[in-house]
Amino acid sequence: MHEHARTGKDWTKTIHLMCPDSNLEMLMTRYQEGDFAAATALIEGISPQLHRFFVARFASHTDADDLLQETWLRIHRVRHTYRPGEPVLPWFYAIARHVRVDHYRKTMRTRAHEQRLEEISTVAATASGKSGQADDLGDLLAPLPESQREVIEMLKVAGMSLEEVARATSSSVGSVKQKVHRAYRKLRETMNAMGRRKGQSGGQS
Amino acid sequence: MTDREIDEALERIAQTPHELESALLGRIADSIKSSLRPVRPLPPTWILACGLALVCVAVALAGAARAGFYGIEKMSLLQRALIFPILGLLVWVAGTVFVNEMIPGSRRRLSPGGLLGMASVVLVGVFALLFRDYRTEHFISAGIVCLLTGLLHAIPAALLSWLVLRRGFVVNPISAGLVAGTFAGLAGVGVLELHCANFEVTHILVWHTAVVPLSGAAGVLVAWALRFRAGSGAHGRAALQ
Repeated sequence: MHEHARTGKDWTKTIHLMCPDSNLEMLMTRYQEGDFAAATALIEGISPQLHRFFVARFASHTDADDLLQETWLRIHRVRHTYRPGEPVLPWFYAIARHVRVDHYRKTMRTRAHEQRLEEISTVAATASGKSGQADDLGDLLAPLPESQREVIEMLKVAGMSLEEVARATSSSVGSVKQKVHRAYRKLRETMNAMGRRKGQSGGQS
Repeated sequence: MTDREIDEALERIAQTPHELESALLGRIADSIKSSLRPVRPLPPTWILACGLALVCVAVALAGAARAGFYGIEKMSLLQRALIFPILGLLVWVAGTVFVNEMIPGSRRRLSPGGLLGMASVVLVGVFALLFRDYRTEHFISAGIVCLLTGLLHAIPAALLSWLVLRRGFVVNPISAGLVAGTFAGLAGVGVLELHCANFEVTHILVWHTAVVPLSGAAGVLVAWALRFRAGSGAHGRAALQ
């Protein structure tokens, strides 16, 4: 699988090979003009980031694969809503967020429906998608509520600016800063509590 | 643990390559290849906002033309000079917020709730400042008529505004519904200000202003119902498969 795998790190190389001195905004404009090479470069460039965004929430790679495909279909359908000159990452992430929320809602509905049919035990394993494959990011951000987690993912992992995160989450920069502040406080508390517990158990043994 | 250590942990994760199968990326590329045609990007926000403002003006004028321009005829110059430009400004702000709700990744300067609150407060302030008739005759009966007139005119404004923004993409249906309702409500208030000659302060403050929040609430309800229906449809299809 590793031979046929794309990582988030080699995409810039790919893009520059396919189209020198290009950036994401330029590729997006060319994608709107019907350029398949630009579309492919964007798919290879953005997909690892988006996939990680989905994995951090759903933990299951299968779910994340499905969501990634769904996101690209949605992106393709509404690619005319991107306006040249605007930052492209918030546009991608806003659509990915929408797909993720849709999926979450459908999952909840399915679970509620199947709970009514008294099949709770089987549904809990499949519908939530928590198959025990949570990666480091999911583990680290697990104590955070959804709104804070996605802001940290975009800001610290995807490398977006505060302004871009605000655009992607349809909120203000102030609100993003507040979420980051709260998320860090929560992470500090959780990590410190875990450290204390480890210290206590180490001392007892 | 310090913020710096959290930053370092996140940075380590960010630098870890996230692997994806080439087959998956190939499938995605293939799925869009057949329908890859040039598309025309949406026009700038100000053009779409102008379209929305025109819709609002057209609905207000058409409504008042049908019912009569009694309100504006009875108004003083000061009342006309303040009410309609402020209403126009609110329509412009609501229009730009509405456009931004329909374009993913847009900059949000005002939240939908903030827009509704601001529009209601500004209208109440302007009406309280300009009208001095403190009688309350036929408060309920006259008020209900105005409220219904405003809400009924908000419906075509909402439908026409969706037509202007039909190429957009709703990221958050509830927010978009609230903004659409608020915008349409302002068109309804426009009709009332042009038409209604009842200048009692309580009547205008309560019944004219109420069109905006009620129309906003109706927008939320419609959006919620549409989303619920779409979700049920998808759930039903999934169950059939």
